Amino acid sequence: MQASGNLDTLMARYQAGDAAAVKALVHAVGPRLYRFFMAQSASRRDADDLLQETWLRIHRVRHTYRPGEPVLPWFYAIARRVRIDHYRRASRTTARERPLEEASDVAAMPPRDETHADDLETLLAPLSDGQREIIRMLKVAGMSLEEVARATSCSVGSVKQKVHRAYRKLRDKMNAIGPNRRSSRGLS
Amino acid sequence: MTTEELDNVLQKAGGATPEVESALLERIADSINESLRPVRPLPPPWVLTCGLALACAVVAVAAAARAGFYGVEKLGLWERALIFSALGILVWIAGKELVRQLIPGSRQNFSGIALLATISASLLALFALAFRDYRTDHFVSAGIACLLTGVLVAIPAALLSWLLLRRGFAVNSVAAGLMGGALAGLCGVTMLELHCANFEAPHVLVWHIAVVPMSALLGALAGWAVQVTSTHFARSSGRASGK
Repeated sequence: MQASGNLDTLMARYQAGDAAAVKALVHAVGPRLYRFFMAQSASRRDADDLLQETWLRIHRVRHTYRPGEPVLPWFYAIARRVRIDHYRRASRTTARERPLEEASDVAAMPPRDETHADDLETLLAPLSDGQREIIRMLKVAGMSLEEVARATSCSVGSVKQKVHRAYRKLRDKMNAIGPNRRSSRGLS
Repeated sequence: MTTEELDNVLQKAGGATPEVESALLERIADSINESLRPVRPLPPPWVLTCGLALACAVVAVAAAARAGFYGVEKLGLWERALIFSALGILVWIAGKELVRQLIPGSRQNFSGIALLATISASLLALFALAFRDYRTDHFVSAGIACLLTGVLVAIPAALLSWLLLRRGFAVNSVAAGLMGGALAGLCGVTMLELHCANFEAPHVLVWHIAVVPMSALLGALAGWAVQVTSTHFARSSGRASGK
C-alpha cells in the first residue's frame, strides 16, 4: 500500500504539471478508487466509467487540493460525488424509460458483473446506505476513521457511531445465521 | 461473534473485488497528460474566510450607509459591542464552514442544517438578551419590510461570496448553497442591526432572525439547481463522448 506522504508529494507535483507524477498517482490511487466503485454494487463496466469520470473531475479541480492536507479523503470525496451523480442520472434515465418497458420488473441499474463480491453485498444487506458506505471505506478501501470522516463530510464521532451501529446489526445477523451456515456460505 | 471475527469476515469478503486493468490506468494517465499544465492551489482557508468576512462587512455597511445608520445610533455601547461582536463570530464560523464545504476532503464541524440551527439559536439568545421591549406595533407590516430588506442585502453578499470562492468545488452543492445562504443572511441581519431602529423584541426575534433561514433556503435552492444542471450537462457530455 502506497504511503500517504508519498501520495501528498505526487499530488503536489501533479499540480506543478509533472507528467511522471500523474502516471504514478493514477497507478497508485486508481486501483483504490476502482475497488471503492466495485464495492458499491457497480458492474465492471460501470466501475470503468466511474473511474474515468472521477479522474476527469479530479483533473478539473486539482487546484482545490491544499498541499499538506490528507490526500486520500480529497480523492474519495470527489469519487463519492461522481458516484452519487452517476446513480442520480441512472435513476432519472430509468424513471423516464420505465413506462416504455413492457416488463414491470426491469432492473433499476445496469446488470451487475457476476464475478463481483456478492459475499460482501449479502453481508452488508441489512445495513443502511450510509452504514454500508462507511463499512466499505473502512474495511475494503482500508481508510482510517479520520479519512472516512473527511471523505463523507461527517465528524469522526458520527462515523464511529455509524460503525458501532453497523457492527451491532452485522453481529446480530451473523449470530442468527449460525456458524455452520456461515462456513457453508464462505462467511467465516 | 467477536468484533475481530467480524473484521476478518468483512476483509475476506471485500478482498474478492476484481482489480482494475492497467491498460485503463494507462489510458487515463495519457488523457490527463494531454491537457496537463501547472495550477495554483487555492489560498489557505483562513485567507478565504477573511475575504468572506470582509465582503459581508462591506456589503452590510454599504447598504446601511445608503439606508441610514438609525439602529446603531440608537443602540447603547454595550449592546453595540455585544451584538456586533457576536455577529462577527457567527460570520467567521459560517465563512469557515463554507470554505471547508468547497475544499473536498476537509474536516467538517457542522452539517448545513446544524450550522443553520446554531446560528438561529445563537441569534435568538443574543437578541433576547439585548432587546427587552415586548410591544408589537405594526408587527407584520414592519416585519415584512425588514425581512425583504435583509434578504435583498443578502443577495449581493452571496454573489460576492460566490465570486471569492468560485475556484472551489462543492462535493455537496445543496449543503454549500445552504451555508452560503446562511452566511449571506448574517450579512443581512448585520445590515438590519445597523439600520433598523425598531427595538421591539418580537420584531427583532422573528423578522430579523428570519432573514437567515430565508436566505439559507434560497441558497439551498440555488445549490439544488446547480446540482441538477451539472448532472444534466455531465449526462449530455457523456452522450457526446459516446458513453
